[in-house]
Amino acid sequence: MNAAEVVNTLLVQRFGVPPADITDETALRSLRLDSLALEELRVLIEERLDIDLDEVSLTPRNTVGQLVAAVDGNVPA
Amino acid sequence: MTARQEPFSAAVTGLGLVTAAGVGAKATWHSVTQETVPGGVSHQAELADLPCDFMYTIPDLDTTELLGVATQRLMDRFSQLAVIAAREALADAGLDPESWDSSRVAVVIGSAHGGLPFYDQQHVAMAGRGARRVSPKLAPLTVVNSAASSVCMDIGAQGPSMGVATACSSGTVALGTAHQLLRAGVCDIALAGGAESVLSRLLIASACQMKAVSTRRDDPAAACRPFDAGRDGFVVGEGAGLLVLERPEHASARRAPVRAHIRGYGASSDAYAAVAPDPEGNGIERALRIALADAQVQGRDVGHVNAHGTSTVVNDRVEATVLRRVLGDHPLVTSTKAMTGHALGAAGGIETALTVLALEQQLVPPTANFEVPDPRIPIDIVRTEARQAAFDCAVKTSLGFGGHNAALVLTR
Repeated sequence: MNAAEVVNTLLVQRFGVPPADITDETALRSLRLDSLALEELRVLIEERLDIDLDEVSLTPRNTVGQLVAAVDGNVPA
Repeated sequence: MTARQEPFSAAVTGLGLVTAAGVGAKATWHSVTQETVPGGVSHQAELADLPCDFMYTIPDLDTTELLGVATQRLMDRFSQLAVIAAREALADAGLDPESWDSSRVAVVIGSAHGGLPFYDQQHVAMAGRGARRVSPKLAPLTVVNSAASSVCMDIGAQGPSMGVATACSSGTVALGTAHQLLRAGVCDIALAGGAESVLSRLLIASACQMKAVSTRRDDPAAACRPFDAGRDGFVVGEGAGLLVLERPEHASARRAPVRAHIRGYGASSDAYAAVAPDPEGNGIERALRIALADAQVQGRDVGHVNAHGTSTVVNDRVEATVLRRVLGDHPLVTSTKAMTGHALGAAGGIETALTVLALEQQLVPPTANFEVPDPRIPIDIVRTEARQAAFDCAVKTSLGFGGHNAALVLTR
């Protein structure tokens, strides 16, 4: 599973986001993800992909695409 | 000295129940009045090999279907049960969150252990996978007040709100506190009661060590047997019971049907022991006498008691002795815990709702599993089947670990 698939799956299954609402340009806050939800999502992604996102700065203003890019940047090639 | 004031009758206009005896007030009432074999208790994999490996649960409740993932993810199960019960209670009261003055709506919900299961899971995550795998939601999900805050968010209640933690009397103390808030005029509506869900190996392992829970592993359905000579401990249950209370003039102004009244409340502390009740029952006696005085009723006026009746040897003997001493031998006493399990901090909420239904229907539920009378229990325990009776006044008693006693007086 690539980063985009992991992020999309978690958003749908763990945060109840309707799949149709998710696009690269969508801001995370418009998917009802606040700062607490983002920290929860960070842990879930780290767990799922066995990576460390500690250095990645995340805010609800970021888009889904930016989040996926940040995760991709931390996945070992 | 006691400051006497005129009794205050809070109107009960709505009930919400989610228990191991049924989902919904109607289903729970049907089970506790028409059935005498509990269907909600079973062996649990989580408790495998413990001396008590069974519990009362609500396995068929689809919380995800009812609440949705986005709402559910911010609650541990006790809060989820509270929200489901709150929605039922509001609908039953005919209250519409779109039209009320939300700043005048209070929420007071008792719980003994709050989100202990989530706390437990996160401890396992930290011990096994390290601090960086711990959820950031630990505090908001596990604090005892999170049932109250979850209900506030779900229904848009913006008045005063709080969790109440007095162990197994939490639900009753929450209702008494709501009665006081209404009487003080700081709110017009209060949603109050209790919520608990602790399918936790850690907690039950400790309760086994304490020798507080039944070890009747070969027959869980017969394990909780309040007031019976063969009782050997309580059996934990999950559930939530919430009531909508209103200032009487608020209920009458909107022509809401009033199901019963909460007219008196008394609370006391044993100041005696961490777990055991005062062996003379002085604490629960004081709470009961204060509640009767608050309601300005006499012991002879009380026709029915929904007792704490946990099925421990000591609680049932002490409580029964006090009921006899304060009220006499005439009230029809029941414990509904053999049908619901001991829902700890939710018990008072669930059982007060059942007391409202008993007043309304003039019907006292039987004490399931009560077969062999204990000669040291000097009261009239309703057994075998529900008993029709005429009564205008009923009492709910609760005792909590730590010596927290509470009593409510309800009237038609």
